[in-house]
Amino acid sequence: MIRHLFTLIWNRRRANFLLVTEILLAFVVLFAVGSLLVYNQQNYRSPLGFEYGQVWRVTIDPGSQPEAERTATLQQVVQRLQSIPGVQYLAYITSNTPFSGNSSNTDISRTKKEGASIGVNVYGMGDDMAKVLGLSIAQGRWFDKRDDAGTRPPILLSQDAQEALFPQQSAVGQLVYNNGGEYQVVGVVPNFRADGDLASPKPAIFRRMSLQDSSFAKLSSFVSGFRLLVRVQPGAGAALERQMNTEITAIGKGWKVGITPLSKQRAAQLKKVLTPIVAMVLSCVFLVVNVALGLFGVLWQTINQRRSEIGLRRAMGASAGAISGQVVGEILVVTTFGLVLGLGVAAQFPLLGVLGVSVGVYLTAMVLATGLIYALTAICALYPSRLAAGIHPAVALREE
Amino acid sequence: MLLSYLKIAWKVLLRRKFFTFISLFGISFTLMILLVLYAMFDFTVGPQTPEKRVDRLLFINRLGLAMPGSDATSNPSYSFLERYVRPLRTPEKVSISTAGGSTVAYLGNNRLDLDERFTDAEFWQVLDFDFVEGRPYNESEVRAATRVAVINESTSRNYFGTARGVLGRFVEIDGVRYRVVGLVRDVPATRRFSYADVWMPITTSAEDIRNPDYLGSCIAILLARRPADIPAIQREFAQVVAGAPVPKLGGMAFKEVRVYAESLLTATVRDESNEHGADAGVGRLVGIVVGLALLFMLLPALNLVNINVSRILDRSSEIGVRKAFGATSGTLIGQFLIENLFLTLLGGLLGLAMAAGMLHLLNGSGLIAHTQFGINGRVFLGALVASVVFGVLSGVYPAYKMSKLHAVQALKGGTNV
Repeated sequence: MIRHLFTLIWNRRRANFLLVTEILLAFVVLFAVGSLLVYNQQNYRSPLGFEYGQVWRVTIDPGSQPEAERTATLQQVVQRLQSIPGVQYLAYITSNTPFSGNSSNTDISRTKKEGASIGVNVYGMGDDMAKVLGLSIAQGRWFDKRDDAGTRPPILLSQDAQEALFPQQSAVGQLVYNNGGEYQVVGVVPNFRADGDLASPKPAIFRRMSLQDSSFAKLSSFVSGFRLLVRVQPGAGAALERQMNTEITAIGKGWKVGITPLSKQRAAQLKKVLTPIVAMVLSCVFLVVNVALGLFGVLWQTINQRRSEIGLRRAMGASAGAISGQVVGEILVVTTFGLVLGLGVAAQFPLLGVLGVSVGVYLTAMVLATGLIYALTAICALYPSRLAAGIHPAVALREE
Repeated sequence: MLLSYLKIAWKVLLRRKFFTFISLFGISFTLMILLVLYAMFDFTVGPQTPEKRVDRLLFINRLGLAMPGSDATSNPSYSFLERYVRPLRTPEKVSISTAGGSTVAYLGNNRLDLDERFTDAEFWQVLDFDFVEGRPYNESEVRAATRVAVINESTSRNYFGTARGVLGRFVEIDGVRYRVVGLVRDVPATRRFSYADVWMPITTSAEDIRNPDYLGSCIAILLARRPADIPAIQREFAQVVAGAPVPKLGGMAFKEVRVYAESLLTATVRDESNEHGADAGVGRLVGIVVGLALLFMLLPALNLVNINVSRILDRSSEIGVRKAFGATSGTLIGQFLIENLFLTLLGGLLGLAMAAGMLHLLNGSGLIAHTQFGINGRVFLGALVASVVFGVLSGVYPAYKMSKLHAVQALKGGTNV
């Protein structure tokens, strides 16, 4: 039966060529959008590794204040902020704050020589950041006073950075190298994804940031200012924000202050990332509906043209079920031709590994797209097949 | 002749309403999506307020310091623009402003996010803002660092609770009180070199305008006397840049300064792409966009081709009669193409109406601040072109197939496809 259907379609391959092409294209579109959705959904589901709920980002631009005076003023600012009742903890951070879209990348390795290095996000953070962001420490400890006396600068790794560098062993106490510098690992934190909910996971390393550091003041001139993360009391709002703003500008004359809750930044970032995805999904839905309608029309037309053939089959004793089975079967075979070609195209992505996305994502998208196309064509064929089954042999044959 | 073709086309459309619906659905939605994108493009880089004279404007918004294997790119600094752009002889006027930033104004215990821009007085002469009330600040006010501001209608509503009669009142921004001297209509946030909520004299900003570094946070807008002067200005600026000394930054020995005066489109693309080649990736972007648009049209077009082929088979006896009475293939192809163009133009019109609705929704959604997307002459022209392309794309193959039908078989009502 199925072989027979394949032969039928193959014999009419010129007439079915356009349909096959259309299904091929529809599959490719669904596969592309499906991959995108599966990929983003996977990222969305993996934990961020920190709590952003009660955390505000404070950006401070010292403007034209001379570099030498900045750290002293900043120290005063920090002390004043800590004395405000609504403020629980605060700590310095580099410009790549969570959800900001800024990133800072580097390579680290286990040996001094180049090679066997991995690319990581690098964050500079103050001593209280573990409390500000609610970071849980998997092994070792966070930065603290003990690091003032250390011979080598301390560093923390994220879980995935440890797994990449020190598979099957603990990284705490080990040495890692970055840009020729030697660092001692003091702890490991769970995976940290400050790039955002939909960004792909990337290993991270954390360096200690303190006012004693000579590079600290210099930093401000490169990235237009200092940044702090502040954990505030639950329920704190614009009143506290305004108070912090006035307190800072009262100490730092001519300083420019920006205060944004991380949750707000997250919403803004999600909106920015999701808008094109939503637009793409809507366009894809439209394309698929379009294809479905077209398929429906073509099938309907075909049934009308093949009335005499169907009438003859009915006259020879074929049941209504057999007729509708044939119509649906035929379109599913056409679909299969299109899908085989489409899968051939789609298979190139995981085979060539062009976009650096895991094979699982592509496979899921392929399965989803294949299922959707089969379902779609079957649904489109249902009404025309009922129509065909309803053809009365006497009427159809008389027309001939 | 044409009229009778159109009449036939109309009758054919009415006869099979379901097919007509499918065709029009596909055409109008496809064109709607393309038109919405085109309208957004036009309202981002086309001649709209405040860049009404966009064919006479040049923008300098990115400066790259390059050496083999490393580079640094940012906005140019105020001092760089003052030293190398202000003295240019070919432009009629040069304006220097900050690249824009955001600030917060507190109203009691509410916060109001504002986008700010510090500009010189020429800014208001180079660009054409719609002033509702008041005036721009002038050169003497800028020189004296007078604390005056021009605000837009939304800010006026949010800050003062009224969109009129706010001249002479004060807005407090970053702890400084500015007197409002002008009120302008909202400028869409897509206009990235002129948009803001509050505009203030550049001399009142915290920006260090004497810092001699090349990298900073400013942009320059140049107004040419005539559109034809644009290449001359670009040449003069390129010469000046070639003569400028290459600075050192953080101990890196840069070899080259890369900065260009370019059109709004190129400057906008450069702002996004951060490339510092001479082209800014516009050529590649145009290629990708045109390719994607064609690819996007391909599926609905294929769909239409399928439906058209079915339709023709439906009309095979009519074609048989016409062939038997001596109509040539060319005539039939012509007739069918006209019928199809009629259909796609109809779809185009529908698409235009839907695009207008969609843009209206987009404006209302506040996705991009202060947008006033809409249909204008250029978008209408775009719709026309897209409809014709679409009509031809989807009409040629069915028309060819139709002309190949054999008269005898067609008359019998049979098909040989």
